[in-house]
Amino acid sequence: MTAKDNPDHIQSGKWAEEIIAGMDQITWDRIGQMSLDNARRNLNVQDRGQSLAKLRNQTLGDGGSCIVVASGPSIKIKDPVKEIKSSGYGGAIICAESAIRYLLTNGIVPDLVVTVDPHPSRVVRWLGDPELTEEKLAKDDYFRRQDMDDAFASELATNEEILNLLDKHGKNIKIAMSTSSGEAVVQRVLDTGMEVYWWNPMLDDPDEENSATRELQEMNGLPSVNAGGNVGAAAFMMADAVLGIEHVGLVGMDLSYYDGTPYRNTQYYEALLRLADEEQLESFFIRIFNKHIGEWFFTDPAYMWYREVFLQLAADADCKIYNCTEGGILFGDDIEFIALSQFLGNHT
Amino acid sequence: MSSVLKGNFKAKKDVEIKKKQDESSDEKFEREIMKHVGGSIAFVKKKKVDWGTKK
Repeated sequence: MTAKDNPDHIQSGKWAEEIIAGMDQITWDRIGQMSLDNARRNLNVQDRGQSLAKLRNQTLGDGGSCIVVASGPSIKIKDPVKEIKSSGYGGAIICAESAIRYLLTNGIVPDLVVTVDPHPSRVVRWLGDPELTEEKLAKDDYFRRQDMDDAFASELATNEEILNLLDKHGKNIKIAMSTSSGEAVVQRVLDTGMEVYWWNPMLDDPDEENSATRELQEMNGLPSVNAGGNVGAAAFMMADAVLGIEHVGLVGMDLSYYDGTPYRNTQYYEALLRLADEEQLESFFIRIFNKHIGEWFFTDPAYMWYREVFLQLAADADCKIYNCTEGGILFGDDIEFIALSQFLGNHT
Repeated sequence: MSSVLKGNFKAKKDVEIKKKQDESSDEKFEREIMKHVGGSIAFVKKKKVDWGTKK
C-alpha cells in the first residue's frame, strides 16, 4: 500500500497482514527448489529455443505501444478484445499464458506469450493438456472453481478446444518461457512449435553471494528477469525491460475479485482452508475501494502482494503505464488508471 | 506495508490458525501449509534484467 492510499479505503482481515509480510519467504518455499530443479531439467531442451536476449529491443506490432493481457475476472465482464479489435489497434499484444485461449478464440494471435510458474500440473492447462483425463480432473477442481475464464469450468471440452487452437496457431506465436517452467508446459510448448525465448526468473538478488539466480545464469547462460511475483507482472517486464516499449496498457490485471464473489471461486480458497475453517476465511481477505471507478473489490494475500510488487516495478519502469482493466485494485502514483477506449484512442 | 494494513476488518468469529500440538513440529507444519498461499515466482527489489554475458 502506498502512503497516499487512504486507510479508510482498505479493510484488512486479521491474518492477511501477517501472511503478506512473510510472502517473500512463503513464495520462496513454494517455488525455489522447484524452479531450480525445472531449470536443470530444461537444460536438455534449451537448444529447442533461443535466448531472450534475441528479443531485446525487437519491434513487435507497429511499435510504440502494447497491451498486456492478463486473465483476471474483468476479462469476462468487460470483454476488452471486442474494443481492441474494433479499434484497429496495431500495437503489440503480449499475454500471460492464462489469457491465450481468450485471445485465440476471439481471433487475436498474440505477438508474445509469457509463462513462468513452475507448478508441475496446473499451468499446462492454459495451453491444453494432452494428458488430461476425467480421473485427473476428479483430483483437482482448481479450474472449475475459479472466477476467471468460465470456459475452463467445462474442462474436457475446453481442453480439447485449446489443444486444437494451439496446434493450429502455435508455430506463429513467440513465447518467453522461463527456465522454471514445469516439464508438462515445456513439452506442450515444444509440441505446438511455438518460437521459444528462454529466460531465468530472478529467484534472489544476482549480485549477492551464493545467489541462486547467479547459479542459474552460470549454468545456462541466459538472461535473468525480475518476474515480479506472477506471470502478469512478468509479461509487463517483457514489455518494459526487454522490448523497451514506451506506452504499456494493461487489461485483465485485476489482482482482485468483484465484491460478492464467493470465496470458493477465489484462487487460493483451498490453500486458505488449510489454515482455517470456512467460516473464518474472511480474516484472510482484504477489501479495497477503487476510487477511480467508485467500487469495492476484495483480494487475498498473494494478490495483494502482487499489487505491492507491481507498484514497485511501476516506480522503476522506463515506460508509461496505463491500467485499462476498468476494475480491480492496481492503481497508484506511477500508473494511469484510464478507460481502454482512451488508451486505444491515443495509441491507434 | 505493515504500517498501513492494520487488520481493521473484524471477522465474525475469532480465528485460530490450525496447528499441531507438538511445538517442535509447529513451525515445520505451518511453513508447509503456508507454501500453498505463496506467489507464482519470486520478486527482487530494485532489479529489472541481468543480461549476463555468455549468450
